[in-house]
Amino acid sequence: MTSPEDTDTDADDNNEGAPMAVIYVYGIVPADVQPEADATGIHEAPIEIVTHGDIAALVSEIDPDQRLGTPADLQAHARILDGTSHVAPVLPLRFGAVVSDRDAVVNELLAEHEDEFASALEELEGFAQYLVRGRYVEEAIIREIVDESPEASSLLEAIRDQPEEVSRDDRMALGEMIGHALEAKRETDTGTTLDVLAPLTDTVTVREPTHDEDAVQIAVLLEVDRQGELEQTVGDLAARWDDRVTMRLVGPMAPYDFVVAPKPED
Amino acid sequence: MTTAGGPSSSSLADVIDTILDKGLVIDAYVRVSLVGIELLTIDARIVVASVDTYLRFAEAANRLAIGSEPKGLSDLVSDVKGSGSTKSKTKGVLEGVGETLGELLGGSGSEREPAPRRRHK
Repeated sequence: MTSPEDTDTDADDNNEGAPMAVIYVYGIVPADVQPEADATGIHEAPIEIVTHGDIAALVSEIDPDQRLGTPADLQAHARILDGTSHVAPVLPLRFGAVVSDRDAVVNELLAEHEDEFASALEELEGFAQYLVRGRYVEEAIIREIVDESPEASSLLEAIRDQPEEVSRDDRMALGEMIGHALEAKRETDTGTTLDVLAPLTDTVTVREPTHDEDAVQIAVLLEVDRQGELEQTVGDLAARWDDRVTMRLVGPMAPYDFVVAPKPED
Repeated sequence: MTTAGGPSSSSLADVIDTILDKGLVIDAYVRVSLVGIELLTIDARIVVASVDTYLRFAEAANRLAIGSEPKGLSDLVSDVKGSGSTKSKTKGVLEGVGETLGELLGGSGSEREPAPRRRHK
């Protein structure tokens, strides 16, 4: 165990003028988690663990002058945390958490919040997050909406084969009608999904849509060993909605939607 | 229907929706030693209802076959959105698990395993 010092004497970092590495923090885990020897995170830096008592942080070194946020950076962050969620409880930090050194990780992050992190990790033991996502099949859902609405049908008749300049108002009206109908369908279908998931868990979070044609976005906290039941449940719903909604089940992942930051101190 | 495979790994879109505005915020816990690092990332939220969206919906409706002719328009529709709208209706649920997690092992060909491993107690 090295005790970090101010001096720049690390064997592989004694380049005069080279930027001092700072520490990127991925998340908090129990102290008995060990990174794979060759696991790498953002910018291919080796994943390290910084422990304090029973808890620890997953970290890696990072060059403070390099900007963060490429797709590879984002995926590295998620990969480390989601990979961990298979085997251990993990409290994920939001992307972009950087502190000056390992001492800060111990003294400010871990030691200061030891009890709350330890008890949160204990509660999460055996659980991981899954994401149930459904996206409408555009043609099918628009047909469904037009078929269900006489007004939409007649607007569609009005714009049919008309040049866009002539029918712009009708197009806007039809499109707006479809937009509202989609919202209503999203609400109904989210409700249906929640009903279907209810026997498995009531720890769910409904996410806001991030795409026009999102049907369902629900994060679920579930025991990892009940993943099979969840797959079955979502698979049944996918079969039922075969032609109108493309369902996906993503996970296990770190419980991003179920960790809550404390209110800033006054 | 097959049940092999299990859930899929996160796509980039999943990751963006997840890690940019969810999870613990470091500045709620660490104050003194925070390093402000420049993020390229912008807010990924979209405006769900807009004029463009409405016109797009109307155009999609306009492309529907007249009457109740079932399906059969997939090729017409699929080139509009580029990705996703009509392809592989049920495939997603059954994608293989852990595709990207395997990369953690540095492509050495060893079996897939997530990065950190739990020491047995």
